[in-house]
Amino acid sequence: MNAAPLPHPGRRLARGAVAIAPLCLAVVPWGLLAGSYAVSAGLSPLEGQALSLILFAGAVQLVVIGMGQDGASLAAMLLATAFITARHLLYGLSLRDRVGALPLRWRLPLGFLLTDELFAVCTRHDAPAFDRWYMLGAGLVFYLVWNLATLVGVVMGETLPGIEALGLEFAVAATFIAIVVPNLIDRALWVAALSALVVAVLAAHLGIPGGLVLAALAGMGAGYVTEQVAP
Amino acid sequence: MSLFELLTLTLVIFASRYLFLEPALPLRLNRHLRGMLRYAGPAVLTAIWGPVVFIHGEPGRFALALPELAAATLAALLAWRTHRVLLTVTLSMALYFLLRLW
Repeated sequence: MNAAPLPHPGRRLARGAVAIAPLCLAVVPWGLLAGSYAVSAGLSPLEGQALSLILFAGAVQLVVIGMGQDGASLAAMLLATAFITARHLLYGLSLRDRVGALPLRWRLPLGFLLTDELFAVCTRHDAPAFDRWYMLGAGLVFYLVWNLATLVGVVMGETLPGIEALGLEFAVAATFIAIVVPNLIDRALWVAALSALVVAVLAAHLGIPGGLVLAALAGMGAGYVTEQVAP
Repeated sequence: MSLFELLTLTLVIFASRYLFLEPALPLRLNRHLRGMLRYAGPAVLTAIWGPVVFIHGEPGRFALALPELAAATLAALLAWRTHRVLLTVTLSMALYFLLRLW
């Protein structure tokens, strides 16, 4: 696989940017929502934008804005944040061999940019063997799009019609289905995905907090056991 | 939201993203953990999309809803046959909105 020299870094950046483009499309409405919700919840436009610039975590932003509006304590916000953000630990573990070997000036930005979507394009079946420039290009474009969408949401504020009702969640679901399904190339991968699906839905139905991470671990365990026992 | 709150939340989120990327963290992945990580992508992403498709209402309960079910099925079929993300998302979203309007 290492026969041909790698193309120019600019080309690799661009390749990452192209790979994440469809995921950017699905996240635009969420960015709009993050901006307009912040402003209509009483945050200043600057605060609303700062959430996207500094936290850069869609689900956490929406939850924290809602909790702040209800007068929740910082401790409660931190607990909710910890549950939502715990899945990033798995992404870090998965990429540890590759990103961990890079110098700090690469690790910090790539770590900061590590979202569900960036992890998704890095684990696609047709993603290049790990390439820092590809990952950086994808991460930066996603960051830019998220913040531009937030900016538009902040400016439009409450004039934005109730976009919660439009079924935005499904856009993200569709992109993840589009990425996962072609990856299911053997029995163990199927078992992993189906186990995660069943546990995630069951946990959500029962209202178990942290169901996402639980389901992910169950899927990973089931996939690995299948590979060992009945590949 | 105070600056202190914002910075505290930032710290928690950044830590969750960066922690295991830090080589100074004394952590050796054994064979089994390494083997499990091969399945992290499909498992985590499925754990995210699953409830969107199968959980409805407030508080969320398992339920089958035609728009989500049909559009997710179309997305899975398109992804399987074409391997094209943009095409898959565009067509399945179109079906989803159509069924919701209808």
